[in-house]
Amino acid sequence: MPRIQSVQLKVGLEVHVELATRTKMFSRCPSPAHPEFDGAEPNSLIDPVVLALPGALPVMNRAAIEMAMMVGLALNCSIAERTKWDRKSYFYPDLPKGYQISQYDLPLCFDGAVDVPATDDKGFIIPDAEPARIGIIRAHLEEDAGKLLHEAPGGGAIDFSIVDWNRAGTPLLEIVTQPDFTHADQVLSFARMLRNICRFLGVTEGIMQKGHIRFEPNINTILTLDDGRTATTPITEVKNLNSFKALRGAIEHELREQPRRWLGDGREMGAGQKRTMGWDDARQQTSIQREKEDAHDYRYFPDPDLLPVVISRAWRDEVAARLPELPLARQKRYMEMYALAAKEAAALVEERDVCLLCEAAIDAMQRRGMDAPRAGRAAANFILQSGAKRANERDVLISDLGITGDEIAQIALLREEGKLSAAGADELFGILCEPGRPPAGAATLGVPERDVETLAGDRGLLIIRDDAALDRWCDEVIAKNDKVAADVRAGKAAAIGRLVGEVVKLAAAQGQRVDAKVVRDELAKKLGVSEPRR
Amino acid sequence: MSLSPDQVRRIATLARLAITDGQAAAYGPQISAILAHMDTLRTLNLDGVEPLTHISEATNRLDPDLPGPSLPPAALIAMAPDAMPPFVKVPKVLGDGGGA
Repeated sequence: MPRIQSVQLKVGLEVHVELATRTKMFSRCPSPAHPEFDGAEPNSLIDPVVLALPGALPVMNRAAIEMAMMVGLALNCSIAERTKWDRKSYFYPDLPKGYQISQYDLPLCFDGAVDVPATDDKGFIIPDAEPARIGIIRAHLEEDAGKLLHEAPGGGAIDFSIVDWNRAGTPLLEIVTQPDFTHADQVLSFARMLRNICRFLGVTEGIMQKGHIRFEPNINTILTLDDGRTATTPITEVKNLNSFKALRGAIEHELREQPRRWLGDGREMGAGQKRTMGWDDARQQTSIQREKEDAHDYRYFPDPDLLPVVISRAWRDEVAARLPELPLARQKRYMEMYALAAKEAAALVEERDVCLLCEAAIDAMQRRGMDAPRAGRAAANFILQSGAKRANERDVLISDLGITGDEIAQIALLREEGKLSAAGADELFGILCEPGRPPAGAATLGVPERDVETLAGDRGLLIIRDDAALDRWCDEVIAKNDKVAADVRAGKAAAIGRLVGEVVKLAAAQGQRVDAKVVRDELAKKLGVSEPRR
Repeated sequence: MSLSPDQVRRIATLARLAITDGQAAAYGPQISAILAHMDTLRTLNLDGVEPLTHISEATNRLDPDLPGPSLPPAALIAMAPDAMPPFVKVPKVLGDGGGA
């Protein structure tokens, strides 16, 4: 028996995105994927088309087609000039028609590609690393199925299944990649990027727990053997993963298990060898799904109830013009305009709402006279330091802390004017994140918004610039610490920190706040040394 | 060559049709005749002919995304052979479905 020398992972991904249109794919029945109808009572979002009542006929949703085109364009796909609908025979009680309307041979979007930045296992972009190009085979529209439940609501055991058809007929975009992924990190990086792109495009809120985006990786491995041969293990398709953690878990589990299975049974990729697995989140492992042998015999045929869709150049261009600036483009722009590091810029675009908060802060700073590089730097620092710290503590997004872009701008300006210390600015940021403050835009509702500078004054955070006092405190500290002062004069730049600390303490003892940076500059001047490197 | 009764039974099963042995035997030659006609059609030279995706010339029958009425859940429950309101009862099934 040859031994395995090395294992190469190979993954292709199918992604289902529920498009957040207000109505379903083929009827104007309200759709639960739209926030307006989310959480509706079971079986309340139904109509004759959804239930396949006799005589009911489907009519396409223009918005769903345009949203799908937007995603396709964002993934650099070609958009079909002519596309059509097919019936996928499918007898299951979650779709009452006995078939699912999908697209078989003429998908709406095809032949795309995206560059996925290299990231480490925590999802941070590795600067200067070569991105991986991931091919997109197709992105087609179809309808989602309803939900089958195998327990009574609340968890009671039942010896039958129950069905809720609210989700049946919701527009679903299925995106299929080439098997171009060679590492789990790449898959995760792509999955996060795709979710973020879809959120920027406004085609879904992308709430994973609600099943807005579901992943189905096709996983196998190429084994290099010590006798020089290679063996390719059978593909495992893992169904319906609705968290990034499960996606990573399933891929890593299969990467460990497939070489072991091959050693046991010697089975290689080929006809009839593919397996369909489910993911057991509690045990963090994949498990074989029992399937009927003909489950994949879908017998597609063109749907005679639906007309083809012809996409003119003008329509395509009109939709393309609506595409917002995408996350990767924003990231590059931040690096150029604001001189941010790749890692910082990547962190800012990772979540749409955080990104928009940052941009609102930058706009507000520029409106108040700051130039772009300083505004970008200040906003990035506040969001990624003061914001990230508190968001972690409260386990929310930075954009959900309650602070507005305009408030961040006001803090940044106070800091620029030397009216806040670094610590004071961070504390003020925290105060503005406290729950129970008037909401952003409260002024328009007649509730006065607190002026940030007044608030800082009320909380004793403003620095009183009293140059005479500062002069006195510095002299006093230098006199009391003559040995340290001598060290600084002799070139031990770091020693100045102790003197700064003493001045801050002395000021605090008299109820005053001083800015450490101002103190440092003043001490350096008095000691006749150039401003030490910070 | 005619489809065997087993092949006919498999097609019937996929389409959820119950057929008798006599029907399975009778349908074999009939389906085969249809398929043979497809083979005849396949011999046509279709170079430069656009595939017909729909019998109608019309395209792009699209609605704006404006919600219309829903049926009341009670109407569904009243139609259902068996129910646990507001859900419809179905025979016990495994998994998440076959395709969607």
